[in-house]
Amino acid sequence: MTTRHKPSLARALATFAAAAAAGAAVHAAVIPPGTALAARQEMVRNNGSEPESLDPAYIESVPAAEIDRDLFEGLTATDHHSNVVPGVAESWKQVDSTTWVFKLRKNAIWSNGTPVTAEDFVYSWRRFLDPKTAAKIATTYAVYLANGMEVVNGKKPVTALGVRAIDAQTLEVRTAGAVPFLPAVVSVAQYGPQPKAVVEKYGKDWTKPGNIVSNGAYVLKDWQVNSKVVVEKNPAYWDAANVQLTRVTFLCVEDGNADLKLYQSGEEDYLYQIPPGAFNALKAQYPKEIHNGPLLGLRFYALNNDDPLLKDVRVRKALSMVIDRQILSEKVTADGQAPLYGLAVKGLGAIQQTRYDWADWPMDKRVAEARKLLAEAGVKPGTKLRFTYNNSDYHKKMAIFAASEWKTKLGLDTEMDSLEFKVLIRKRHDGDYQIARHGWVVTFNDATLFLALVQCGSEVNDQRSCNKQADELIVQGNAATDPARREALLTQAAKLAMDDYPIIPLLQYSVPRLIKPWVGGYDEANGMDRYRSKDFYIVKH
Amino acid sequence: MWAYVVRRLLVTIPTVLAVVTLCYVLLHLTPGGPFDAERKVSDAVLANLQAKYHLDLPLWKQYLYYLRDLLHGDLGASFRYADWSVNDLVARALPVSLAIGGTAMVVAVGLGVALGIAAALRQNSAVDVGVMLLANIGSVLPSFVLGPVLVLVFAILLPWLPSGGWDDFAPRYMILPIALLTLINVATIGRIMRGSLIEVLGSNFIRTARAKGLPTRVVVMRHALRPALLPVVSVIGPLAISSITSAIVTESWFSIPGLGKLIVNGASDRDYTLVLGLVVLVTVLAVLLNLLVDLAYAWLDPKIRY
Repeated sequence: MTTRHKPSLARALATFAAAAAAGAAVHAAVIPPGTALAARQEMVRNNGSEPESLDPAYIESVPAAEIDRDLFEGLTATDHHSNVVPGVAESWKQVDSTTWVFKLRKNAIWSNGTPVTAEDFVYSWRRFLDPKTAAKIATTYAVYLANGMEVVNGKKPVTALGVRAIDAQTLEVRTAGAVPFLPAVVSVAQYGPQPKAVVEKYGKDWTKPGNIVSNGAYVLKDWQVNSKVVVEKNPAYWDAANVQLTRVTFLCVEDGNADLKLYQSGEEDYLYQIPPGAFNALKAQYPKEIHNGPLLGLRFYALNNDDPLLKDVRVRKALSMVIDRQILSEKVTADGQAPLYGLAVKGLGAIQQTRYDWADWPMDKRVAEARKLLAEAGVKPGTKLRFTYNNSDYHKKMAIFAASEWKTKLGLDTEMDSLEFKVLIRKRHDGDYQIARHGWVVTFNDATLFLALVQCGSEVNDQRSCNKQADELIVQGNAATDPARREALLTQAAKLAMDDYPIIPLLQYSVPRLIKPWVGGYDEANGMDRYRSKDFYIVKH
Repeated sequence: MWAYVVRRLLVTIPTVLAVVTLCYVLLHLTPGGPFDAERKVSDAVLANLQAKYHLDLPLWKQYLYYLRDLLHGDLGASFRYADWSVNDLVARALPVSLAIGGTAMVVAVGLGVALGIAAALRQNSAVDVGVMLLANIGSVLPSFVLGPVLVLVFAILLPWLPSGGWDDFAPRYMILPIALLTLINVATIGRIMRGSLIEVLGSNFIRTARAKGLPTRVVVMRHALRPALLPVVSVIGPLAISSITSAIVTESWFSIPGLGKLIVNGASDRDYTLVLGLVVLVTVLAVLLNLLVDLAYAWLDPKIRY
């Protein structure tokens, strides 16, 4: 199998490696020529919430990962355009469909002066996936490595994991099946390196200021729980010459209004997210500081495909057809999120966006068709739907809109159930719902993460939907060595799965945010919304 | 009196035990668990996690383990914050809450009592009307209205103070939150002080004191103040507890790393040990403050003896 695919694979990888090598020279903060930098290169960023940990093995949330990518550099990284760029690995190549070799740079060193070696990655990945570590999201990433799931499930020892140090600068990674997007996978913060000696010396306290040793562009200076994390430039970092910011303060303000007030009074340079309902007013008030880039994330409603009423695809289709995404986007949420009529969002890698054919029909025609479908399925007006969401004004507003669409256009009544977030997700996982609010944001840019939402038996498929043919196409796609063929197969898989109407796609997330005009390096075309502080700089002001 | 204090302290033990037990049961009855996340945790990882936190044991056994650790002063590992124990988290948040809540309480009592006295002595005068107006505004305006107004005026329109945040007990970050908590409490205390003093000033023994020709200052300070303080002292207990432990709105509005934020996040994260630890702390604080209030009664009112 491996030799058969080699020619085209080699071609594809040569392009990738060339791009990677080219990226290596320019991937730090790109400062437009003629830009005068401020003498004081410091920035205060609200990061949204308190990191649950700074230990790469234990982090789960986006805010924690954001800080960790400054502290720990993995084999690869993602820059502020969401591109995969070299990290500790200066180059990599795929030896066969399941084997990759990463070449580590010689000048990568820990903040205590010791070199970062391939052995450090072996140790760290084994520690992350060790059942004894009990990392909550271990399986999310274990699934890509050879024996990854067996190790997490305790069926094989950690030494069986598909990662091996050939020498100090060469790391071999074996994957479970073909994982053409492995360089993106290993850019996640959880696959960052951990300093073995320090972890073993301090145990749980190894991430505390004073104890911690890291290899990223920054080192931890201060950590005041529920207040802030302060990092400072790491002089030992291999690319330190291209790192501009000398000090970054991450705040953990959750309350959107408190965040806004800190921004307005000049306490922070970077607002995490504009509070719901305030976008248009702030846009008028701060036209030069407002940003609203699309995020690789999907707002949708999960439909329980096992539910007696929703078992019938005609009912699911009718419910999806009558929701006017245009009004939802422009009038209800009114914060620049784009309407969606398929699984894939704009900018998602290895897939083309698909769109239901009815998306372009006039609403009258859509409603007539939906009514017909319901009549065929024997669903009478007045039938009750049960909608579950987690309590927030934003979700409530959207839910009321959906319910009114179903009521006015189809005559269906909706009973609303507002729950706490933890209760909602438990109910979704247990299939104890009929229609539920859902959202999905990726941690690396590849279509498989979205396809997982509708794959048979996937742990994130709360709809319990299954289209065997689509599943088969996904497997074929991932085995394809030609990226164009892979994209075609995955696109076809998404279309097939979505023709079963397992979910109601609604909007593509965006990140409405305010940033002070003197912050350089922010890019709205960064669908991952990941920003390494090394990509920012402060312009003279 | 010491016997009374010891007796009261001993009663704390069953009180804490009862509260912990109730809270323990309620937490475990609440739907949704600490490990529920968007992506379902796989069975194997869940089993590892449960083993790590002893959740695989029968509930009564977990409970006994918890009590054992509690007796050793160990509040357990946080379910959410992997790098911190509950002891760590509480040890960092309690001083912050005490600094903000405690200072606000002292200022509020001092100011409230003084304003109450001033209003009572000049009943129906401009001073009285002014104080009562302020007190009523303070009572009717919730902290989530008063907070933004303070910030708007003193942080945004007049950029004198930071609008929020915290930096290792730096006073400039503490002024606005303390002011907010003070304003809320001073209203209550001032109103109660005024009413109570007016009532005391109308009683027979005050009339006797005045009849003896004592100056007003002596009548008030020596004879009227102590009995008039009784109702004030009664409210100080609950007010102090809420200032320290449940200043949730204030903390979230000013982004202060105190106990209120931990309580709210702990509950929504189903961080069982964190919530229980905080409940124990609040219970002990409540019992101690109530004890102090009761002791203050005895000092203020000669009729009360323990």
